[in-house]
Amino acid sequence: MSIPQTTVAESAAGARAFRLRRFDATLPVWMGAALFVVVLMLLPLGAIFTTSAFTEKGLTLGNYVEVFTDPAYLKAIWNSVITSFWVGVIAVAVGALLGWLVTRTDLPFPRAVRALVMASFVTPPFLGAFAWTLLAGPNAGLLNNWYRAASGSETALFNIFTIEGLIFVMALYSFPYVFSMIANVSELISSDLEDAANILGASRWKIALTITLPLTAPALIGGFIVAFLHSLSLFGAPAILGLPAGIHTITTQIWAFFQYPPRLDLAAAFSVPLLLATVGLIAVQKKLLGRRGYSTVGGKGGQKRLLKLGYLRWPAFLLVAAILSLSVFLPYGILLKAALSKAWAMPLTLDNFTLGNFTFTFFQYGDTQAAILNTFKLGIATATAGTLLATLLAYITNRQLLRGARYLSFFVLAPLVIPGIVLAVGLFIAYSKPPLMLYGTIWILFVAYLTKEMPIGFSQTESTFKTIHPELEDATRIIGANRLRALKDVTVPLARSGLIAAWSFIFIGVIRELSASILLFTPSSKVVSVVIFDLKEEGQIGAIAVLGILLLAVSFLIILAVQWLAGREFFASSRG
Amino acid sequence: MATVTLRELTKKFGAAAAVDRLDLDIGDGEFVSLLGPSGCGKTTTLRLLAGFLQPDGGEIRVGQKVVSSPAVLIPPERRNMSMIFQSYAVWPHMTVFQNVAYGLKLKKLDGGEIAKKVERMLRLVHLDPLAGRYPGELSGGQQQRVALARALVVEPEILLLDEPLSNLDANLREEMRFEIRRLHEEFRITTVYVTHDQAEAMVTSDRIAVMHQGRIVQLGSPEEIFDRPKTRFVAEFIGKTNILRGMLESGRSVALGDGLKLRVLAGDGLAPGKEVFVCIRPHSLRLTPSAAEAEAGRGKGMNLFQGVIQRRVYFGDANDYIVELPAQRLNLRVVAPPTQKYEAGQKVFALADPEQCVLVGEE
Amino acid sequence: MKYLVAIALAALAALSATRSHAQDAAMIEAARKEGKVVWYTSLAIPSSTALAHYFMNKYKGIEVIVNRNGSQRVLQMVMQEAGASIKNVDVIHTSDAGHFVLLKGKGLLAQYSPKAAEVFPAGFKDPAGYFFGMRATLSSIAYNPRVINEKDAPKTWKDLLDPKWRGKEVTAHPGYSGIIMTHVLALVKQLGWEYFQELAKNKLHIVQSANDPAQVVASGERPLGVNGAEYFYYKTMKQGNPIKIVYPKEGVPLVVSPTAIAKDAPHPNAARLFTEFILSKENQQILADKEGLYTGHPEVTYPKDKPMLKDLKLWAVDAEELEKRNAELKKRFTEFFGA
Repeated sequence: MSIPQTTVAESAAGARAFRLRRFDATLPVWMGAALFVVVLMLLPLGAIFTTSAFTEKGLTLGNYVEVFTDPAYLKAIWNSVITSFWVGVIAVAVGALLGWLVTRTDLPFPRAVRALVMASFVTPPFLGAFAWTLLAGPNAGLLNNWYRAASGSETALFNIFTIEGLIFVMALYSFPYVFSMIANVSELISSDLEDAANILGASRWKIALTITLPLTAPALIGGFIVAFLHSLSLFGAPAILGLPAGIHTITTQIWAFFQYPPRLDLAAAFSVPLLLATVGLIAVQKKLLGRRGYSTVGGKGGQKRLLKLGYLRWPAFLLVAAILSLSVFLPYGILLKAALSKAWAMPLTLDNFTLGNFTFTFFQYGDTQAAILNTFKLGIATATAGTLLATLLAYITNRQLLRGARYLSFFVLAPLVIPGIVLAVGLFIAYSKPPLMLYGTIWILFVAYLTKEMPIGFSQTESTFKTIHPELEDATRIIGANRLRALKDVTVPLARSGLIAAWSFIFIGVIRELSASILLFTPSSKVVSVVIFDLKEEGQIGAIAVLGILLLAVSFLIILAVQWLAGREFFASSRG
Repeated sequence: MATVTLRELTKKFGAAAAVDRLDLDIGDGEFVSLLGPSGCGKTTTLRLLAGFLQPDGGEIRVGQKVVSSPAVLIPPERRNMSMIFQSYAVWPHMTVFQNVAYGLKLKKLDGGEIAKKVERMLRLVHLDPLAGRYPGELSGGQQQRVALARALVVEPEILLLDEPLSNLDANLREEMRFEIRRLHEEFRITTVYVTHDQAEAMVTSDRIAVMHQGRIVQLGSPEEIFDRPKTRFVAEFIGKTNILRGMLESGRSVALGDGLKLRVLAGDGLAPGKEVFVCIRPHSLRLTPSAAEAEAGRGKGMNLFQGVIQRRVYFGDANDYIVELPAQRLNLRVVAPPTQKYEAGQKVFALADPEQCVLVGEE
Repeated sequence: MKYLVAIALAALAALSATRSHAQDAAMIEAARKEGKVVWYTSLAIPSSTALAHYFMNKYKGIEVIVNRNGSQRVLQMVMQEAGASIKNVDVIHTSDAGHFVLLKGKGLLAQYSPKAAEVFPAGFKDPAGYFFGMRATLSSIAYNPRVINEKDAPKTWKDLLDPKWRGKEVTAHPGYSGIIMTHVLALVKQLGWEYFQELAKNKLHIVQSANDPAQVVASGERPLGVNGAEYFYYKTMKQGNPIKIVYPKEGVPLVVSPTAIAKDAPHPNAARLFTEFILSKENQQILADKEGLYTGHPEVTYPKDKPMLKDLKLWAVDAEELEKRNAELKKRFTEFFGA
């Protein structure tokens, strides 16, 4: 063994001499991005906890006691839990069925079904809820009118302004989450696994039940939790369907706390359990999925064959079509009708036809133009900044650039499951007083959207980065490019389609965002979703329909653009 | 002067040391291979050299300059090195020309100069007709040439190669070995080459460092490594070999079981009375059916084994035999010319020159 | 002599007219420089939008930014912005007179006595000069004549308690609407909380805005509105929707909706000009003709098919009381009706 020839003193001097050069010039960028996102998260969450735990009397649990002893508030919690539970159950049943039918069977028109599921996914739940008030209001609802006309009955078939109605609508817009999880897993299960059972003499239905289903079980549980959390965090749907029947949920109650005289302390105290429940459920999901794992499903797997449905093929298709008409065709149809008619409940005759809703909405109603402008400005700004930030962060976690990069991704992803309205409570408290005075400007919405929607871009970007061989980047660096340059010249161009998808995910997320916006807007910073909500409270149905159609049209245009630009299926992108 | 010095270099992943107090001196313009099975730490060593990893102990110097130590890490982009990767890592969104030109652009050379250098380099690797193609339109071998051109065009002080040929098919691999050596002779860049393929290392290298469990177990010219393995591991890893267990008696005699004594090449640092291993390459054994010839051989000081052909495999350019030695209850593998044909069950003698019976230690 | 006096008086009048004219011109000029006026209002969207356009047509170059929301939301916005020291609003208008007592008490209103309001009756003026009734409406009953026969239709507030209306009625919410807040206070004072307790048994559909019941009734979703902005019922009816308004003989809550200028109005001149405009006879007449509203201006005439206020028994409420009982009214209403 040879002894190093430099003495200790020499190498210390050497180290000093090289300190400057050893300093990776790009380090501040990574540190900055990581610090930024951590602060972005900690400020609102910290604000919630401190506000909930302090009164004039100092540290106290008084707010919690007040919130959790009042029967009205407890009822709101119970309503949220029970609706979200059933939403989870229905979403799993419907999402899994559709996911399985589309990926594993010879169901007709699988691509069209996928596209329509995606349409449900993109539809803002508050818009769906609104459309369903027109479809299934007990007395004037179109479907109930048809039912009465057909049956001669006096009563309504279905009253949407009930807990059941709320569950129904929220499930319609939650099942696509389960669908995509199931479809992704189901596509990876190779037929070999099923063949193994086949050789043992199991029938194809038995195989589906005993092999395919258990293999997808982790995804089913995960899907339930995602659907549950999604519906727990919804504000618009319960506000539109629940409030008219006197039904409060956690989110609508938090919103009510903001009405004059505002009770921010109670809103914060009310947010904390929602936050903890969310964190708890995510932990459960992680644990469940971690233990069962997708490893049995296997990466590439073998070939996959489609199960022949036989005589059930068309009945199955009809069922799927029926489900999709509930989430897409009927609501879109009634929106279109309402947008084009003077009186939405009347038949759309020439007499009843008007373009007046469009001219009123776009040219007369003062809020619209500014709100549309705000919405798109925010959408573009957030999507751009969010994609940039997501790229940096995904790069840090993917390449493990900083110590604790793994925890960083937890931080980044956390807002994905924090209900928007809870985030908004935190943001409002944190940013409505100096020195961080963002309330009253469009920037608080920007910060809210960035916090809330960037994680979607992050997970998208990260999974894209995983597919890019790190050596491609190493090759850049070794011949003289620093990390940022490598990122810019090689990794980003190669991740292009993933980044475009991330951008559009964020953009679509922003333009449909309601639950955080509703607490953070001021009259000078209204966005389309808030205008729709305001219009709803005033019963301006034609204008809502017009704005809703605008939102949907823009979303679909973006998706088409992505598919064209990035040459990929929009929905496929959630696969890692 | 691009000499490279590795001193006590250590890199741990968790508790396990992937590179364990490794020492190595590489001369200016020398071509050194790090050879070893997967997991031996050779790629980690290379990535330490490149600066993608920071060592947990020891240091790396280029010339007199410390480039890596637990306290110092000059990032890869400031090391004036080039690297060729197992996956080629040719950028799929750039043409061949753009791939090769990229490093020169980073050096802010002007366009004309870049074009001149790139064109010259592409000619050198025979890719000039393909300059406008995208990597997706190239074969694996062509992509590897792009990677070579890209690495060489920036005129690095040091060239690092990480299993560059492992993804190529057998014929191409053989061709590229010579290509790499040819380019080395052309440019004389200090080169570190990581491979698990001994033939690659033999063809390309000035010296080979055989690695095992994070350390260099033997460093030497290809001949030294092949002919004079120091340990059983090296002997077994480099080429096929017979390993016979025995007891070292005096400096040059090893007693196998059943009283057979082998005369061997002296081994370093092995004390008499200890269990040792004798390494005999299958090529070094000569088979003969004739007892007379066998006796004549023994008379000339050759080691003599007596056995029975157990199995023959015909390889076209050679016959590969398993010879059972009933007395020693072990099998010898012998590679004989294709003209020497014996059938299974046939009694044969095997002769081995003591010069080619190498004494090795366990480690 | 008489002649001289007449000339002198005429000259004086001319002089003062010129001076007032000059003052107006100065105000308009100053307002133009500010370029816009921000109006937080609870006046129904079509009405407030229309009003803004009348103003913008008359005073070109001054933009009216309309932010329409429920009275309680308007207050929430004003208070939240005040709490965060955001200066955005110029003119505040809600249908909950109590709000103005509150805002005045907190020092958030500017004192300004519009010339246009000089002719207004006492019920439309804050004696201290901080706020003025821009419009008045009633909270009335309305039903859908395609669903409910005129002879079956309720005539009084108490008729609404009949169990046969179960699942057929709609109410707006005092937690959103100032009109409904006023309505609730008026009815509580006349009929007591028992009335609402009883009413809640009919499982009402709850909407937010006092304007929303109009479309709910018109569509037949709930054919009977137990309250709601009478002017909006009227407007919806005039558009050809099936609506009939009932003005109960026992009394009808009168809702006077004040307007005021914010203390920290960023466009104070435009705010004054806008206030003068909305209280002017010209505009008050438009409100009566086009929007179906009542006003405080004594010279305004009303459509023939609307009852005159003097022919109705009006239940007016005290702004101070509205302010004091705001939280209580909301809370109890919510207890009975949920949400």
